[in-house]
Amino acid sequence: MAAEANNAKPTFLSPPQEGKKPIVSLRGITKRFPGVIALDHIDLDIYPGTVHALLGENGAGKSTLVKVLYGIYTPDEGEIIINGRPTRLTSPADAINMGIVMVSQSPQIIDTLTVAENIILGLEKYNHFVPVTKVYKTIREESKRVGIKIDPGIEVWRLSYTQKQLVEILRAILLGAKVLLLDEAITYLPIEEKQRFYKFIRRFADEGGTVVLITHKIYEAMDVADKITVLRRGKVAGHLDRKEATIEKIRALMFGERSAEITYERLPTAQPEPKTILEVKDLWVMGDFGGYAVQGVSLEVKKGEVLGIAGVAGNGQKELIQAIMRLRPVMKGRIIYNGEDITRKTTYYLRVNGVGYIPDLPAKYGVSIENSIIENIAVLPVYSRGIINWDKIRELTLKLIKEFEIKTPSPDTPVKFLSGGNIMKVLVARELTVATNLLVAYNPTRALDEATAIKVRKIIKEKVLKNKVSAIIASEDLDEIFQISDRIAVMNSGKIVGVFPADKAKREEIEHLMVM
Amino acid sequence: MVIVRRVKPLPYWIIPIIALLAGIAISVIILYVLMGASPAAVLSAIVYGFTRPGVVAKTFVALTIVGIALLVSFKGSIWNIGGEGQITFGLMAATWVALFTALPYINPGLAQVSMILLAMVAGGIWALLAALPRAYLGLDEVPVTLIMNYIAYYIVDILVRGPWLGKHVYNYIRTDTIPAQVMFPQVPGTTMTWDGLFLLIILFVGVWYLLRNTSIGLRIRILGNNPNLLRSSGISVPLMIIVALTISGFIAGSVGALYLGGDVYRISYPVEAHTANYGYTGILVAWLSMLELIAVPIAAYIVSALYTAGIQYQILVGGHLGQLLTAGSAIVDVFIGSILLMYTILITISEYKIKIIVKR
Amino acid sequence: MFESIASFIVGVSAIFLAYYLAAVGHGLMEKSGVLNLAIDGVFTLGVAIAFAVSVYTFSVPLATFIAMIVAALFGLMLAFITTKLPISHGAAGLSTMFLGYGLAALVGLPARQLQINGRSLATIQPSLGGTWIWFYVVAFVVAIGIWYLVEKTKIGAAIRAAGENPASAEALGVNVLAVRLFASGVGYALIGIGAAVFELAYTQVWSQGAGMGYGWIAFAISLSAGRHPILILISAMIFAALDKYRFLIAATYNLPPDVGKMLPFVAAIAAMIIFMVTPLKRKLAPPKSLGKIYFREERTV
Ligand SMILES: Nc1ncnc2c1ncn2[C@@H]1O[C@H](COP(=O)(O)OP(=O)(O)OP(=O)(O)O)[C@@H](O)[C@H]1O
Ligand SMILES: [Mg+2]
Repeated sequence: MAAEANNAKPTFLSPPQEGKKPIVSLRGITKRFPGVIALDHIDLDIYPGTVHALLGENGAGKSTLVKVLYGIYTPDEGEIIINGRPTRLTSPADAINMGIVMVSQSPQIIDTLTVAENIILGLEKYNHFVPVTKVYKTIREESKRVGIKIDPGIEVWRLSYTQKQLVEILRAILLGAKVLLLDEAITYLPIEEKQRFYKFIRRFADEGGTVVLITHKIYEAMDVADKITVLRRGKVAGHLDRKEATIEKIRALMFGERSAEITYERLPTAQPEPKTILEVKDLWVMGDFGGYAVQGVSLEVKKGEVLGIAGVAGNGQKELIQAIMRLRPVMKGRIIYNGEDITRKTTYYLRVNGVGYIPDLPAKYGVSIENSIIENIAVLPVYSRGIINWDKIRELTLKLIKEFEIKTPSPDTPVKFLSGGNIMKVLVARELTVATNLLVAYNPTRALDEATAIKVRKIIKEKVLKNKVSAIIASEDLDEIFQISDRIAVMNSGKIVGVFPADKAKREEIEHLMVM
Repeated sequence: MVIVRRVKPLPYWIIPIIALLAGIAISVIILYVLMGASPAAVLSAIVYGFTRPGVVAKTFVALTIVGIALLVSFKGSIWNIGGEGQITFGLMAATWVALFTALPYINPGLAQVSMILLAMVAGGIWALLAALPRAYLGLDEVPVTLIMNYIAYYIVDILVRGPWLGKHVYNYIRTDTIPAQVMFPQVPGTTMTWDGLFLLIILFVGVWYLLRNTSIGLRIRILGNNPNLLRSSGISVPLMIIVALTISGFIAGSVGALYLGGDVYRISYPVEAHTANYGYTGILVAWLSMLELIAVPIAAYIVSALYTAGIQYQILVGGHLGQLLTAGSAIVDVFIGSILLMYTILITISEYKIKIIVKR
Repeated sequence: MFESIASFIVGVSAIFLAYYLAAVGHGLMEKSGVLNLAIDGVFTLGVAIAFAVSVYTFSVPLATFIAMIVAALFGLMLAFITTKLPISHGAAGLSTMFLGYGLAALVGLPARQLQINGRSLATIQPSLGGTWIWFYVVAFVVAIGIWYLVEKTKIGAAIRAAGENPASAEALGVNVLAVRLFASGVGYALIGIGAAVFELAYTQVWSQGAGMGYGWIAFAISLSAGRHPILILISAMIFAALDKYRFLIAATYNLPPDVGKMLPFVAAIAAMIIFMVTPLKRKLAPPKSLGKIYFREERTV
C-alpha cells in the first residue's frame, strides 16, 4: 500500500477492471469429504484489482474453496491457474510464494509466540538462523504506515481478538500479498475497526491487489465488492456484477426458497411476569490479564423476557456471562438466580436447575466435534447421571434433529462432519431443551448464515414466549440485539451505561453509547 | 506427496494383513543381514507363535488387561505411562496378603480374591498420586507417571531387602515363596490361570459397559476430545482427570497380583530386573488398538504371539551368538519392533490415501 | 574438602554429559511436537554401536560419530512418519524402542564376543588431568547454543510453532515436515552422542541390555526441567550426582541403597511441582500439540 493513498478518499464505486486477464482461475475444482461433496466442479475467475465476494449458506463450500487456494486442501480434481500458468499448490508456503495469503475468522497466529516470531515464519528473505529481532524494525515501520500500533516483541496471548486480526493483516502485507483471502476475517470486529478494514480492502484493490472476501453480511459484501459469486451445495449458483446485484437476487441464489423467511423485523415482544429470575448486584469480575473486566454491574431479568446486552467486543460481556454461569470467580457482588444466591454455587448447580448456556465460539466451548451428536447431547448432567439411558436420549436427539432441521446422516455422526451452521443448531437445540427457566447466551448466531441465524432467533424467542423462559443474550451484532430483545442494556468498559425497552430504543443512541 | 482422507475407507481387514506381512518381511531381512538367520527358521517361529494360543495365553491375558487399563485413561487424553509402577504396587499389595496375613490358610479362595482386589486398590492409589497434581496443578502426567514407576520399584526393593526378606532363600535376596494355597490354578493346557481368565472377562465387560453406558465413561471420552465442553456443562474437569487415571491404575494393579500368583510366586531383588515390563508393552498394545476396546485383545494377541515367536526361534536355533544371547529377547524385540512399526505406518492407508503431486 | 569437591566434579562429568545431551536432544525434538517414546531404545542402540565400533576400530571419535549418525537417522525416520502420515506417535515411538533394543543386542553381541576373545575397547577417561573440563564445556556450549536456537532464531520460532499447532504453523508459512526433521535429526544426533559418552566415558563395559533404562531417565530429566536447555543442566546434574554417588550417600547416612536410587526421581518430581507454582509454568508447559496426530485436511475449530 503506497503512502499517498492514505489521504485518498476510499471510493466504493471503482469499476472492475474489464479486459484484464484473471490472476486466479479455477477450472473444475472438486473436493470430496466423507459424506459430502464440498466443491463440485467449480469454475471461477478472479481478476486483479477487484474485491470478489464469495457468498453462500453454511456448508456451501466457501471455506473449502479458499483453503484449496491457500494450499491447505488438495483438490480431488480440477486445475488452479495462477497468472495464466497451471499451478499445483501443495502447502500454504507454496501459496505465499505465489502471493496468495489467507486470513481466517479464527486467528492462525500462535499464542505462545511473539508477534514478530509469528510474522517472520512466512518471510522467505530471512534465512533460518537469523535472530527474530532482525524483523522488528520492518514490523514497526510497516505497522506505522498501516496505522496499527503493535509491539513486535509481545506474546500473542496477551492480545485481544481484534489485535490478533490486525496482526494477521499486517502479516499479509509484510508477506507482500497480491491476493488476499479473507474468510470471515472481518465479521467479528467491532464496527469502527470493521470500517477501517473495508477502507483498507478497497484501497488495496484500487492499487491493483485482489481480495476474495467471504462474509455472511450480504449488505457489507454489496458495499465493498466488485464481483459476487454465490456458492450453493458445492456448486456455483451464480456470478453477479456489482451493478446487477440486488439483495433479493443474492438471497435467492444463496438460499433458494428459504430466502422468503429472512426478515429483520423485531420478533414479538414478550409480556414478562413480575417475578425476577436473575438478579446481578454490583458485580466485579477480573479479566484474563488482570484488572476488572466487569465493574459493578447490576441488572435484572424478569420471568419470560429477553434482556439483550449490546456492546463492542471486549467490554466485559464475556466475563459477565461467564461469571453468571459460574465459570469465572466473582470478586465482589452477588448473583441471585430464582431467589437463590448462587455467587458461591457451581456451574453444575445451574445446569441441573434449568439453565441453558450458549457460549462464545461454540465449536470450541460448546460442543466436542470429535464426538457424535447424540453424545454431545447426552453429556449434560441432566441427561446423564450414573447409567445413561441411550434409548431415551436417542429419541430426544432424533426429535431435535427433526425439529431444528439439522442436516446429518445420522445421530451417531461425529459433529466434525457437519457444516458450521448445523453444528450450531445442535448446540442451540440442546441448550433450549434444558433451558426450562433461563437461557444465557453470548453471540448465539455467530458464524451462522442469515437464514439460519434468523431461524435460531425465532426459535429462541418462541420458546421464551411459549414457556415463559427468561433469557440474557449478549451479542456484538446489533441487528440481533434489536430483533430478539425485549429490553436492551448497553455495556461499555465493564459497566452498564444504559437500559432501554427495545421497542422504544433508538439505534443511533445505542451505537453512540457502545463506542462512547 | 500429500495425504488425503478416503471418502470411503478400505475394507478393514486388508491393510492389517498386508502390514503384518510387510513387517514380517522386514524383520526377516534384518535378522538375516545382522546375524545370518535363516528366513525359514524365522518364519516357522512366527507361525508357531501365532498358532499356539495355549502358550501365549499368560502374556496375552496380562497385556490385554494392561491395554484395557491404559485405554481408559488414554480415552481421556491422560497419558498414563505409569502402568509399570501401578503393576509393581499391585504386586506389593498381593504379596502382603499372600505372605503376611493368615488369609491363605483360613480361606484360600477369599485370599486370592483379596490379593487381586488389594492389588487393584494399590495400583489405583499409586495412579491417584499422579492424578492429583495433574488435576490441580496441571503437572504433566507423562513424566510424573514415568518417574513414579521407578519410585515404585525402589519402594518394593526396600521392602524386599528389608522387612520382607525371606527366611528360606539361601543367599538370594528375595521374599519367601507364597503358600501353595494362593498359587493361582492353571487352565489346563495353557499358561494362564483361571483367576486371570475370569479377571480378564470381568474387566473387559466392565470397561465396555463403563465407557458405553455410564456417564463417567462418556465424560472420560469427552475429556479426551474437548474438556471445555465438560466445563460449560458443569462437570468438574479435575475430577474427571482423577477418575480416569485412578480407574486406569486400579485395573493395571490387578496384573501385579496375576504376576505374583500365576507366574513368579515371589518377589526377587531388584524388582526392576525381574519385571515382565507389561506396563510398557501395554502402552504399545493400547496404541496399536487405536483406542478401540474391541481391538485391544487383538493387539495383545499379536504382541504376545510375537513374543512367543521370538522365544521359539531361540529354541529352534539355539545359541547362535554364543551363550551370550539370553532368552532370545533380542529377536523378540526385533520382531515386535519392526512388525509393529510397519503395522502402525501401513494401517493409515485404510483411511487415507497418498497422492503424489508432480510440480510443474 | 577441596579435594572431595574436585573429585566429585571429575567423577560425575561423564554421566552428567551423557544425561545432558540425551535430555536436551529429547527436549529439542519434542519442542517440535513429535512425541519421543523411542528414546530408550535408540539410546540403548547408540550405546551398543559406540561399543561395537570402538571394539572394531579402536577409535573413540569414529565410535561417537557412527552412534550419532545412526541415532539421527532414527530421529529423521520418526519425524517423517509422524508428520507426513496421520499415525500415532506413541505406537511409532514404542515400536521403534523395541526395534532399538533388539538391534542393540544384535550389534553388540558379536563385538562383545571379540572383546572376550581379547580385543580391547577404546575409551575416554575423565581424569583430573583435564579431559573432564571438556565434558562441561561441551555441555555448556550445547546448552547456550540450543537455547539460542530455540528461543531466538527464526527456525526456533518455527520449531515452537510446529509443536504448538502444526496446522496454524503451516498456514503461517512453516514447512512443518522440514522443521520437525531438523529438530528430530539434531535432537537424536545429540541423543546418539550422549549414548556414546555413556558407554565410552562412563560405564566402559558392555553386556546385553547396557544402557537400557537410562534413556527413560534422560526423558525424565528433560521433562522435569520443562525441556528447557538451561534448566536441564541442573536436573541432569542432580541425576548424575545421585547416579554416581547413591551408594555412597546411602552408606553414609545408613540408609538402604534403594533409598539412594530413589532420590533423583523424588527430586525430579519435587522440581516439577516447584516449577508449576512459579511463573516458569507458562515457559515450561509442554507443547500443545505434542504427540497429536497431524493431518492437514482435518477439520479445525
Ligand atoms: N476438513 C473437513 N473434513 C470433513 N468435512 C469437511 C471438512 N471441512 C468442511 N467439511 C464439510 O464440507 C462442507 C463445506 O464446508 P465449508 O466449511 O467449506 O462450508 P462454508 O461454506 O465455509 O460454511 P460456513 O459458512 O458454515 O463456514 C460442509 O458440509 C462441511 O461439513
Ligand atoms: Mg466457512
